[in-house]
Amino acid sequence: MKKKLLTIGLAALAAVSMSMCASADGGEMVLFTWEGMFPQEVLDNFTEQTGIKIIYSNFDTDETMLEKLAQAEGGDYDLVIADDYIIEQAVKEGLVSEINKDIVTNFGNINPLYQGQFYDPEDKYTVPYGAGIPLIVYDPELVDFEIKGYNDLWNPELEDSVALTANYRVINGITLLSMGKSMNEEDVSVIEEAGQKLQELAPNVRLIQDDNTQNALLNGEASAAFLYTSQVSAVMAENPDLQVVYPEEGLGFGIMGAFVPSQAPNADAANQFLNYILEPEVSKQCIEYIGYYNTNGAADDIVDPSLVVPDSVTKGEIIQNVSAEADEAYNKNWTEFKAACGQ
Amino acid sequence: MKKKNLWWVCIVPLYLFTLLFVLGPMIYMVAVSFATNNGDGYGFHWIFTLDNYRKMLDPVYLQCFRQSFQLAISTTLLVVLIGYPYGYFMAKLSARGKKIMMFLIMVPFWTSSLIRLYGWIIILQVKGVLNTVLKALGLIEKPLKILYSYPAVLIGMVYALLPFMILAVYSSVEKMDWGLVEAARDLGASPRKAFLTVTLKLTLPGLLSGVILTFVPSMGLFFIADILGGNKIVLVGSLIQDQLTRGSNWPFAAALAVILTIMTSLMIFLYRKITHVKDLEGIF
Repeated sequence: MKKKLLTIGLAALAAVSMSMCASADGGEMVLFTWEGMFPQEVLDNFTEQTGIKIIYSNFDTDETMLEKLAQAEGGDYDLVIADDYIIEQAVKEGLVSEINKDIVTNFGNINPLYQGQFYDPEDKYTVPYGAGIPLIVYDPELVDFEIKGYNDLWNPELEDSVALTANYRVINGITLLSMGKSMNEEDVSVIEEAGQKLQELAPNVRLIQDDNTQNALLNGEASAAFLYTSQVSAVMAENPDLQVVYPEEGLGFGIMGAFVPSQAPNADAANQFLNYILEPEVSKQCIEYIGYYNTNGAADDIVDPSLVVPDSVTKGEIIQNVSAEADEAYNKNWTEFKAACGQ
Repeated sequence: MKKKNLWWVCIVPLYLFTLLFVLGPMIYMVAVSFATNNGDGYGFHWIFTLDNYRKMLDPVYLQCFRQSFQLAISTTLLVVLIGYPYGYFMAKLSARGKKIMMFLIMVPFWTSSLIRLYGWIIILQVKGVLNTVLKALGLIEKPLKILYSYPAVLIGMVYALLPFMILAVYSSVEKMDWGLVEAARDLGASPRKAFLTVTLKLTLPGLLSGVILTFVPSMGLFFIADILGGNKIVLVGSLIQDQLTRGSNWPFAAALAVILTIMTSLMIFLYRKITHVKDLEGIF
């Protein structure tokens, strides 16, 4: 009996592996990105349609990705998805090839809000895959006025009630935005001015934390919070009565972009895949799976509305590397701010 | 002859280990503290500079040292006030009672200290255990905002370090010759005087080693301030971590660490001076 089961098992295994071989006749495509960036269904459907087998290879941090890609001299991998600032570096180091727009006919689907960015000003190298936008979320039951932008966080009514994420550049950045300046301000005297303003926020700060910051809203520790995209999605799923604010002073965002490395062994397959994920239906599946903002304009109507940036938002800025002096000033602002919070 | 050979076999690895993993990194740290930070991203250059130490005189960083000291001193005081009587009376229990108490003190160590800290969050938060109980008792109307405040950090620190004081005092009191106290009483000393002149003096090494074991770590236990203080209280420890990671200024982090090491060494030096004891009592 046992032997029979084993035989059946082996036969099944053989069938599976044969079917895998059969579907691989379109060649292979090595996809290099973080873990959990695609629903399995999306990958399987691509293989079914094109016969191209996808090998999903993952990295932990952008820096690791760049290091590996540099070691492979732009080879080994066919498609990479990573963050904006690291793509800028990869382009600079000549590790990126241009998108083949003859294959990627869906290129026009991309929402222009996410195009022409610093890492790819002419939209030659990248296809955005999703955007992260930190936003303000507050509990209307606990806050007596309407929060419209960053400046409202300074309102004395929010004393000891604001939760903040802990990225020093982002928090410096929203202070600058509240002053009508750029998040990437290089002028040290302006940065110092922002530092002064940031210290005035200290009495309102309840906690500064990067992980699970949204819990502060749920367990009543904070009545307003400045949260990352994934945290906004998480908290709204938990308590839909909370209010999400797209700050009127402008948004700061981050984009995850896809690019084809310069020596990609199977660049054609990678371009086909890009075209595939730009189809609205596929985009919808992907974006709802990862919970980031939709960058595919053609899919805006079918995607979960909470993942589509409202039309009123036309201005967004990405945090970029700044000069060493400016960075030092941002660092100092941050330490002074935290010290002021501890008073 | 043979015995001597064996002796060396045992001792050499220890020396090597200490040289490699204790002295080596220390020297490296001191060296790095005099290096020049690479302004652009990670790394540093081996160019001698005193800037890293000069930078510490900036009011923001001095404030960190002040805050760390303040917290360490308040923690130590509270730990002495609770820990000394605790250890003292524990040593006077029956053998069975001592065993039970010792067991109860040890049990929390079976759980990671991080998890225990998260337990404190559950107790202290606005909708937490403490507020629910106080409200049910009618003692408060509005929930207390204890979490993410200075008192919360203090509670966490005292909680984490109290066992060290208790154990140090306990072992000191247990070793004490009670005959001396009886002699003092026979010679007419009041209980209070006997305690102050005999018991306290004899247990001073234990008490002071408890103080060291509380004070020194409390300068570095920044994760308690981060978790229970909502990252708002910047201690020297968190400043060092910050400079190593986000600030990517290793030389400055090294300089801060050197100063912190010197300060804690001073504490241990003082302890030796006062007690004339070489080892920390109770633990070693």
